Amino acid sequence: MHIRYLFILVFLLFGLVACSDKKESVNNYEGTFTSEKGGTLIDAMSGEPSNLISMIAGDSASSAISGNIFNKLIKYDKNLELAPELASQWIISNDQKTITFYLKKNLKWADGHDLTSDDVLFTWKLVTDEKTRTPYGSDYKLVDKAEALDPYTFRVNYKKAYAPALDSWASLQILPKHILKDEDINHTFFSRKPTGSSYYKLTQWINGEKLSLEASPSSVMGEPNINQLTSRFIPDTSSQFLELIADNIDLMNINPIQFARVIPSRPDLKNKLALYKELGNSYTYLGFNLKHSPFNDIRVRQAINYALDKQEVIDGVLLGLGEPIASPYKPGTRWSDQNLHPYSYDKNQALKLLHEAGFNDSNHDGILEKDGKPFSFEILTNQNKQREMTAVLIQRRLKDVGIDVKIRVIEWASFVNQFIKTGDFDAVILGWSLSLDPDQYNIWHSSQQKPGQFNFIGYNNKDVDQLLEAGRTELNPDKREKIYHAFSKILLNDSPVVYLYAGYGLTAMNKRIKGIDSPAPPAGISYNSYEWFIPSTLRRNEITP
Amino acid sequence: MKNLRQNPLALSGLLIIITVLFVAIFASWLSPYDPNYIDIQSILLPPSHSHFMGTDGLGRDVFSRMLYGSRISLLVGFVAVGIATLIGTFLGAIAGFYRGYIDSIIMRFVDIMLSIPTFFLILAVIAFLTPSIWNIMIVIGFTSWMGVTRLVRAEFLSLRNREFILAAEAMGASDFRLIYKHLLPNSLTPIIVSSVLGIASAVLTESGLSFLGLGVQAPQSSWGNILTDGKEYIQFAWWLSLFPGLAILITVLGYNLLGEGLRDLLDPKNKNLKK
Amino acid sequence: MLNYLIKRLLWMIPMLIGISLISFFIMHLAPGDITASESSFNPKASEESRQKLRALYNLDKPLMTQYSLWLKRIVKLDFGNSFASHQRPVLWETKDAKGNITRGMIQDALPVTLMINLIGLLIIFALSIFLGVVSAVNQNRWPDRLITIIVFVGFAIPGFWLALLLMYWTGVSHSWLPISGLHSAGFEKMSHIAQYADLLKHLILPVSISSLGGLASISLYVRNGMLDILQQDFITTARAKGLPENKVIYGHALRNTLLPLITIIGLSIPGLIGGSVIGESIFAISGMGKLFFDAVLMRDFPVVMGILTIGSVLTLFGNLIADIGYAWADPRIRRGISN
Repeated sequence: MHIRYLFILVFLLFGLVACSDKKESVNNYEGTFTSEKGGTLIDAMSGEPSNLISMIAGDSASSAISGNIFNKLIKYDKNLELAPELASQWIISNDQKTITFYLKKNLKWADGHDLTSDDVLFTWKLVTDEKTRTPYGSDYKLVDKAEALDPYTFRVNYKKAYAPALDSWASLQILPKHILKDEDINHTFFSRKPTGSSYYKLTQWINGEKLSLEASPSSVMGEPNINQLTSRFIPDTSSQFLELIADNIDLMNINPIQFARVIPSRPDLKNKLALYKELGNSYTYLGFNLKHSPFNDIRVRQAINYALDKQEVIDGVLLGLGEPIASPYKPGTRWSDQNLHPYSYDKNQALKLLHEAGFNDSNHDGILEKDGKPFSFEILTNQNKQREMTAVLIQRRLKDVGIDVKIRVIEWASFVNQFIKTGDFDAVILGWSLSLDPDQYNIWHSSQQKPGQFNFIGYNNKDVDQLLEAGRTELNPDKREKIYHAFSKILLNDSPVVYLYAGYGLTAMNKRIKGIDSPAPPAGISYNSYEWFIPSTLRRNEITP
Repeated sequence: MKNLRQNPLALSGLLIIITVLFVAIFASWLSPYDPNYIDIQSILLPPSHSHFMGTDGLGRDVFSRMLYGSRISLLVGFVAVGIATLIGTFLGAIAGFYRGYIDSIIMRFVDIMLSIPTFFLILAVIAFLTPSIWNIMIVIGFTSWMGVTRLVRAEFLSLRNREFILAAEAMGASDFRLIYKHLLPNSLTPIIVSSVLGIASAVLTESGLSFLGLGVQAPQSSWGNILTDGKEYIQFAWWLSLFPGLAILITVLGYNLLGEGLRDLLDPKNKNLKK
Repeated sequence: MLNYLIKRLLWMIPMLIGISLISFFIMHLAPGDITASESSFNPKASEESRQKLRALYNLDKPLMTQYSLWLKRIVKLDFGNSFASHQRPVLWETKDAKGNITRGMIQDALPVTLMINLIGLLIIFALSIFLGVVSAVNQNRWPDRLITIIVFVGFAIPGFWLALLLMYWTGVSHSWLPISGLHSAGFEKMSHIAQYADLLKHLILPVSISSLGGLASISLYVRNGMLDILQQDFITTARAKGLPENKVIYGHALRNTLLPLITIIGLSIPGLIGGSVIGESIFAISGMGKLFFDAVLMRDFPVVMGILTIGSVLTLFGNLIADIGYAWADPRIRRGISN
């Protein structure tokens, strides 16, 4: 009796499944296609955006979406040089303290209102307002006076020349005054129902499920080719990958193993997925606590640098999909000095330096000692697969030269509060972004060592301090280049951190998406995403009611 | 033992447990490689003569890592459940025997513990301490005793007014004797069944914690974190997920089958029946 | 009985305070707060700005002050807003002056979790009772052994592994079932019936995975309970009276076996609102488990405390119902209580 009901239930379920069996359509992705408008691109996001007002949101998901909706005054172009966006040009005064932006004519918000310098001024006031819950206000507070001279002219004065100013204006998304002037920016519907000026406008946002953008007809940038962008929120990357190979999403970020091994080995996947790699925006390093002995000894730091085989780490952790670096700047940009080279892997040199620093294996247990104390330290890192694997490789290489390393992996919030802020660590594996503006005052200047500040390793070098100060007040790119090359050279020699690698950002994209620049320019493949297109013959069958 | 032999399921469960125990004890003898030996020339090799279970993303031998990982799952299971059963039985016995205020206080404490999600407690503790294997065992143990308490108490409550207990009480048996000699043996069934299920779920909990990144941390290997590493490549490097997945499945199954068999064996009612 | 009820209800007040106190302090003693989220480890975000944020959230005040502030609001059923930058209300939607509605986080997450768990619970109980009875009736014969192995395998298999295997098999190799999420791409444009069918298809895998683990313990419970009862005198009497075996099993034995199950149902009520973090992550379903887990990692205190409070209230009521149900059903205990 019961069994029969069970069978009927199972039968029904499978019937339901069977009648929806979709036919596999075979697409021919190769051939030449001309660009056309329309179509939907579906991607996957691991986290859901939090707030589309980027000055308040801190998460990368939010900025990925809001970047499609809002504009900035200026932007970085495909070669990472500053270029016009809302402003057609900008002029720096001779004393380098005043920047004047000239806005393009006839700029419109998506709702038809004019976009003027008033909106820019309004946005600046918001980001510098004490009541605004933004962590990013400090750059803009250096502006002594900001004014909208006329609807197309916006001028800012700084008390003293501030070189990263342009970079800060290339990251501030301009918000509409006419909608927000009576709103509490911290707590407004606008954060989830924005009106912008750029390529797309938000049409749908289902919490926890997906978010859709549609091409905005009044976009100040012109109309993009792809009509609709849908982002599905799928937290688990294994699930994302299954959706990708089942053709339900068009692109996702993949890991080195998927990039180098999984997809190339499977003809069916190779047929429909195109792989792109671009130099990412961050590097991974091993940082020492310079206040702890023996890391206050430059010979010890250099020795560890020589003892680590960076290429091995890149090959092992990233399957070769990364680059060694010798300065905290993105290789290929003007700030990165091509004459600098990473420490080579040289075990003997490492041992020599360690002996000079007073370390010897006097009791022949394989571990070096100094004053009877074995050289043993702990590497802390957060829960990040690649950093964990890196730590394991470092542990082995340092054992070769007689240094005992322990690894400790800690959840992020505890990591920051218990160890970084209190300075209670020997060494960390962490990442810094390869900033587009060369100013790294916050990270390396000796004044930035208070709890919560970013020079938590305690780096202290007078020459570096001077260079960083000089670089901050120099707006001429050629002069800045010299300053930061000099800075990078000292930093490399001092070796307060061991640069491990700058990994590639890896993307797998369904071949129905066309128009992607390959190889990727310095800015990455998505710099021209508005030019991507989906030929109508390759589009998904949209479900009609 | 004779009874156990009559129950093929329980016997196979016991065999599985013994095998896993053997493997765990002799892991260092049986492993062909150092489980942490990295060989980036042989990343993600499929199973072969030199690597029975293939290699992982850093070229480490999965077979050796599985052998060492068996130690972890055994330890996690036994220690965590040992802690939970001790606490649970003790509190449950007291609550069920004395009833009244003592019972109320203990059971309200159980209710409080039950209403705070386990993984919240685990996460909080792990935020304080490193997620090491010892901390994980202790946390699992201290957050899973409530079921045992409830079972023991319920059993005591329903036994408390039975004639044989009342008779023993009337004959002047001490509280301790009543609990230890009369009530506890008659409540053993649920305790054993639940602790065996408990060992099994502790092993599963460890793999779940690994999935969330809160399990035994690299470079130490556990079945849970090998499986979690492998889940990204389920259709490509299948050996990375198949072997730890099967190992967990079979071990947990073994504990469960054994527990079932023991239930039949130890149940006093069954014994009475066979006399 | 009434006295007992009142006593139990009164007990709930100190317990609720106890629960909130314990969770509040555990949460706040764990190092870190919302301003330490990974994205704020950004050289552009200055420490002063983060201090400012901390002050805005009252995180700079002593713990006792923070707790009493929280308690004052919660008494008015005000669960506050999330600390995350979207500042959504924790519990229920709010409307601003212009009529824009911001939906509450629990409001969005709870129905999803509730749906999956309710269906799962029904399936677990229906299947378990059936399997348990078949096992007990065929004790130690092959159907019993087979069922035991099947339910134990279901329990023993790591859920996320099986989930991924099934997703690959049914979703990628065969496109029978959707892989993740709860709705297909064109859901909004579908007819009502198609929408239900679509939802049902999306639910098959998550519900199966979530019920698989619970099958073993409950079917085992039913089986063992049945076996115990079948050995008792009143069953022997019933058999001796010549009652048909069917009636003995379903009429007498099963009914008595199901009594203790009431406790389990009561205990399952809080489980209904707590989702599974792992299942929800794998299947990209935004339920309570994922919401809670993310909030704990982010140190989003209002969300964590909101979920814990609602969870504990439901748990306490669930326990109460279980106890009352058990007492009502078991005459021995009923007598004990009224004494």
